[in-house]
Amino acid sequence: MTAPAAPRIVAKPRNFETTAWLWMRYSGVLLIPLVWIHVLIQDVLVGVHAIDLDYVALRWATLGWRVYDVALLAFAFAHGMNGLRNVLNDYVRGRRTRRALDIALLVAWLVISAIGAVAIVGGVRPASEQ
Amino acid sequence: MTTLRVPLEGSLYYRGREGQWAYWLHRITGLGTLLFLTIHILDTSTVYFFPDLYQHAIDIYRATPFMLGEIALVFAVIYHGVNGLRIALFDLFPSWWQTDRQRLSFWWVVGLSLLLWLPAAFLMGRSLVVNNFLGG
Repeated sequence: MTAPAAPRIVAKPRNFETTAWLWMRYSGVLLIPLVWIHVLIQDVLVGVHAIDLDYVALRWATLGWRVYDVALLAFAFAHGMNGLRNVLNDYVRGRRTRRALDIALLVAWLVISAIGAVAIVGGVRPASEQ
Repeated sequence: MTTLRVPLEGSLYYRGREGQWAYWLHRITGLGTLLFLTIHILDTSTVYFFPDLYQHAIDIYRATPFMLGEIALVFAVIYHGVNGLRIALFDLFPSWWQTDRQRLSFWWVVGLSLLLWLPAAFLMGRSLVVNNFLGG
């Protein structure tokens, strides 16, 4: 049992990385109820065998669930993509490679987020085959 | 390759024991969840863009290997959340910053994660057996 050393106080620069770090913390805490409730309902209680187009349409008939899914999409995917950026920065040393990866991640994040958002707002369209 | 190998070795051998395991599990569960999430956003988006394809995507998720993956995914999501909460809590209380306490906290995280995961794994496993082996 060694007594802990007094915490070292450092000046925190208000730059992008500080904001990103804080943001990971806040979104992480928020994602615990958001993701766990989503997984509990869809994966554990309802189950993939009960999910089809009609089920999604029924769920999205309630505006609240669409808002919930938009929040889930925005927070979870941003948290995950920034986490991936942090992981890559641990292993990629080259400045130019890092920059290229950062741009690729930014584009992927924006495009996939947009695709998901359009689908949630647009809603379920009827299937042609039956 | 040296630019990649050196940090990889550093990550594999850095200090070791519980802190290292917690760190690796956090990373693997996070990356695994992100991989699933990316696919999940795109397949769910077919309900708007290509509604005919959605049923095909769901059929893939209903296959046994994917349902087993789903059970693993639920553990990943639980562990990543519980361990993240542990990290956040330790940051709030500097008086907890002792090696033995941090090591012990990892086992609390593992225990709590398993406790939360087992009932979910049971229900999902039952659904897997009933639907894929007993014909619904």
